Amino acid sequence: MVDQTALTKKLQKEMNSGIASLVLLSVLGQAKEPMYGYQIAKLLNDKSGNTSLMKQGALYPVLRSLASSGLLESQVEPSVSGPPRRYYTITAAGRETLEIWTEVWNQTKSFVENILKGTGNV
Amino acid sequence: MYKTVEDYLADLKQELAGSDQATIQDALSDAEEHLRMAVASLREDKPDLAEETALQTAIDQYGSPAETAAAYAEVERRTAPGLSSGVNRKSRSFLGRFFGVYAHTRAWGAILYMLIALVTGSLYFTWAVMGLSFSVSFSIFIFGLPFALLFLLSVRGLALLEGRIVEALLGVRMPRRPLFAPRGLKWLERLKMQLLDKYTWLALIYMLLQMPLGTLYFSLLTTLFVFSLSLIAMPFAQLLLQIPPIQTSSTMIFLPFWALILIGLAGILTATLTMHLARGIGWLHGRYAKFMLVTE
Repeated sequence: MVDQTALTKKLQKEMNSGIASLVLLSVLGQAKEPMYGYQIAKLLNDKSGNTSLMKQGALYPVLRSLASSGLLESQVEPSVSGPPRRYYTITAAGRETLEIWTEVWNQTKSFVENILKGTGNV
Repeated sequence: MYKTVEDYLADLKQELAGSDQATIQDALSDAEEHLRMAVASLREDKPDLAEETALQTAIDQYGSPAETAAAYAEVERRTAPGLSSGVNRKSRSFLGRFFGVYAHTRAWGAILYMLIALVTGSLYFTWAVMGLSFSVSFSIFIFGLPFALLFLLSVRGLALLEGRIVEALLGVRMPRRPLFAPRGLKWLERLKMQLLDKYTWLALIYMLLQMPLGTLYFSLLTTLFVFSLSLIAMPFAQLLLQIPPIQTSSTMIFLPFWALILIGLAGILTATLTMHLARGIGWLHGRYAKFMLVTE
């Protein structure tokens, strides 16, 4: 018997690991001012409707990894209520990368769609 | 399931056991920042929502400790800290490996660190000694205790900053964010907590020791490099500029050609050995800094 839930979860996880970087970079590319983790998570939650594709906790290590590769910049600021927040902004290198990644995403998307629809072959 | 954010953090810490200390510290502060924000924002929308229920909703969206730990482990596996491990060409000849040190980013990073350590070391030392003596002498005044607290907090802040330098130049993973103190403490309790935390004192000792260490690193490095460079310069001095390698008030001794070549080679050898030494010291200092500055 095939455990479809587990397999689906695995596929989702594998797809997310690349998409998360693109999505986060794009959110910060469109942001007018620095954003902190919870703000980004909330925005993504509102955009995704009821289906939550990934846990919010998984966003933070990706943000950190984008920052350590120089695509994002971050800065800790104290907040009035609660612990200090880490604000992220996109860097110039991040913007360039985002353009390339968007192109890659568009190519991948149309490729996968073509395959799934079965157009062009037979 | 979880009554407080602290409970969640304790579980998350357990799930992360075995990962890098710095990753654990990062993950804990991310989770704390997010969950506290989420609970506050959920209760702002619905003021009659119980704190526990709000926390449960927040955790459902954030992910269980196991899921969160897995996400950090996954990303950590893909991200190399600081200057990456330099060259990783394997199985080269001994000579290749010996002189390959010039291509190691780690070796150049260590050299830069050893030069910078003289400056940062003196600054840390001055700050630590001034802060300590002011804290002690102000303790008879009413503002003595808040002053001591501010000083101790600044020590933790500087430890974090030093961690960033160590990570960038020596390639040892260090914390990227401060660890949060428990919330809602009075400043007197906060001072007590800082005083009882052994990492405050370790950081302070680190700052004090950084001056002698920095001086040692700096003088070792400059002495060895100047020595190597003068050996390398000797053949050029005699052959091109007619300056004798050995000179007293009455005699000038010119060396034969083969001796000059040997001296030049010796210079290159000591310069390369110095690079290796710097790399070794960088490695050692990285371990030491991690031991002294990274909170468990």
